[in-house]
Amino acid sequence: MGCSLTTESALNRADTEDDEQVLGADGQFHAKDTPIDLSAYRWEDWFSVFVFWLLIIDVFYQFFTRYVLADSASWTEEIARYLLIIITFVGSSMAVRRNTHIHVEFVFRYLPATVARALSTFVDGVRIAFFAYAFYLSCLLVPKMHNLQMTVINFPMSFIYGFVAAGFAMMTYRAVRLALLHWQRGWSLLERPGESEA
Amino acid sequence: MRAKREYTDVSRCHTANDGAQFVNALFFGGFLAAMGSGIPIAIAMSIGSLLYIWLSGAIPPLAMVHRMVGGIDSFPLLAVPFFILAGNLMNSAGITNRIYNFALALVGWLKGGLGHVNVVGSVVFAGMSGTAVADAGGLGTIEIKAMKDHGYPVEFAVGITAASSTLGPIIPPSLPMVIYGVQANTSIGKLFAAGFLPGIIMAIFMMIMVAWYAHVRNYGSDIPFSWLRMGRALTELLAIIVVAVVLFYLWKNEELSGLVKFGVPLLAVLALDKLMKFEAFMALLTPVILIGGMASGLFTPTEAAVAAVAWALFLGFVWYRTLNFKMLMKISLDTVETTATVMFIVASASIFAWVLTTTQITEAIGVWVLSISSNPLVFLLLANLFLLFVGCFMETIAAITILVPVFMPIIKQLGIDPVHFGLIMVLNLMIGLLTPPVGMVLFILAKVSKLSFERTVVAVAPWIVPLLVTLAIITYMPNLVLWLPRLLYP
Repeated sequence: MGCSLTTESALNRADTEDDEQVLGADGQFHAKDTPIDLSAYRWEDWFSVFVFWLLIIDVFYQFFTRYVLADSASWTEEIARYLLIIITFVGSSMAVRRNTHIHVEFVFRYLPATVARALSTFVDGVRIAFFAYAFYLSCLLVPKMHNLQMTVINFPMSFIYGFVAAGFAMMTYRAVRLALLHWQRGWSLLERPGESEA
Repeated sequence: MRAKREYTDVSRCHTANDGAQFVNALFFGGFLAAMGSGIPIAIAMSIGSLLYIWLSGAIPPLAMVHRMVGGIDSFPLLAVPFFILAGNLMNSAGITNRIYNFALALVGWLKGGLGHVNVVGSVVFAGMSGTAVADAGGLGTIEIKAMKDHGYPVEFAVGITAASSTLGPIIPPSLPMVIYGVQANTSIGKLFAAGFLPGIIMAIFMMIMVAWYAHVRNYGSDIPFSWLRMGRALTELLAIIVVAVVLFYLWKNEELSGLVKFGVPLLAVLALDKLMKFEAFMALLTPVILIGGMASGLFTPTEAAVAAVAWALFLGFVWYRTLNFKMLMKISLDTVETTATVMFIVASASIFAWVLTTTQITEAIGVWVLSISSNPLVFLLLANLFLLFVGCFMETIAAITILVPVFMPIIKQLGIDPVHFGLIMVLNLMIGLLTPPVGMVLFILAKVSKLSFERTVVAVAPWIVPLLVTLAIITYMPNLVLWLPRLLYP
């Protein structure tokens, strides 16, 4: 099962090539952080991280107003919910590119290589089709949300749905790129679960 | 005009019962086929729902996107990214080493020492992290490497690591319980409190099993016993308990000012840590802040998660200095990725759950289940078997979002406490992480340990026993589960 909650999210992987023992002779643990490589990340990932830090600041501010000023700001909660929606749909394109949306590759263990290749290509096709359709639907939805105002702030909801549409557009684009990569390389994560996508 | 045509379609479908059943079968079958063929679970759920929406015309298709957004538009769900972030911040080598050294001092001198350390380390880490997979992937690598170095069989290391990783979502904080609380409209604070004792019981059963293995296979200890080291660790544990009790009463008192509530205790623990040169005291305060803050009524779960993040940032950048800016960026990226995948599943599962309710499949299941037996004890047994089965095939978050609307009406009718049921559900799904074909922890540990998937399955299998025993206990002893929530939330 591929997922983003795997070893990727842990910094402290003990380097298995390292001969040094994790639990040393001195009776102490000596795990080391793995070197960090950020080159695999693209601009939309950094945009999501930017929104994520806006969310953190927003919620910290709410925390501050409630406990220090004893008067919580009313807009922070609503903004926080919208930021989480943006992070979900825009950040999701990172998971599409890295193919870390949780999927079940179990059946691929028992399929002959050619069938697995065909099924994997089918999955790539369905992924593109779904995201493209969802993008189309959210484009239809945006104008409908234009007259709907946010609760506390005087701002149209179409703004949020615009980000949802942009997220689906980005997911579609990344799904196409992923499918092309699979096509050129001749295998996907479904067929080789241990590997990681570029 | 188009919408109108679709509405006439739906009336036709509902009058013709066969047609409706065909659509329902297609909806569910489409989802299962899509998931089985390797399409990401979130997309598979949406595709199943889309099939229903197209064929029945119950709602215009664009409502799918609207419902997906609505499914995650909730303030309590904000706890999700913050708990993930807090766990990731605590998952750096500097803090992990401290946690393990602490566990080593407490139980490393026992026979099968590193097996016990594995369990105790996971208990501590479970108080900061809310997912099993983070535990398996983060600590698991270090645990397995250390145990291999010390001559333990890889299978033993993998088995105990798998079992102990399931403590993550049982001992608070817990991501699955946040999702359950939101879907079931149940107090997340109570759910967290309910997981505490069962988590400790699970850990004790695992340690009994380690002791049994150590006895049968003649494992030695991994560090020599030293009164000094043991005494220091026990002092640390005692200090934690004292601080926890003091904080609880300080925070419960509404008349005190912010300075007395936060400022004085902060200075006190900083001084204590400097003076005593504690190993993991400050890290161990994370669960104290989390649980104490929620139990005293000071924090909502989301605020507790934020407090945990603030504490983790303070430890990482100021106190222990184990983090740097580049690591923070990597942690942020990881957190965004995990958050997006989890929330995308919640979004898709909410449209899926909506279809289940609209087609009255939920209701039909309820009627059917109650027709088998209206005895709560029998129902709980059947529910456990069903959830264990589902856990083998479904991802945790998706299963919770889909199944809560199915189960809630039944347990309300039978008078089962939703907090009790929440714990049962989460533990069942955690066991599902250790079973093929869709056991996420199995896949991670196979990758980490470089064992084949099949050998990993065999290695982990015996370690499901302590989990099943705990499951039986918590299912039929609701008072054990509900004791702490009742005490903290009278």
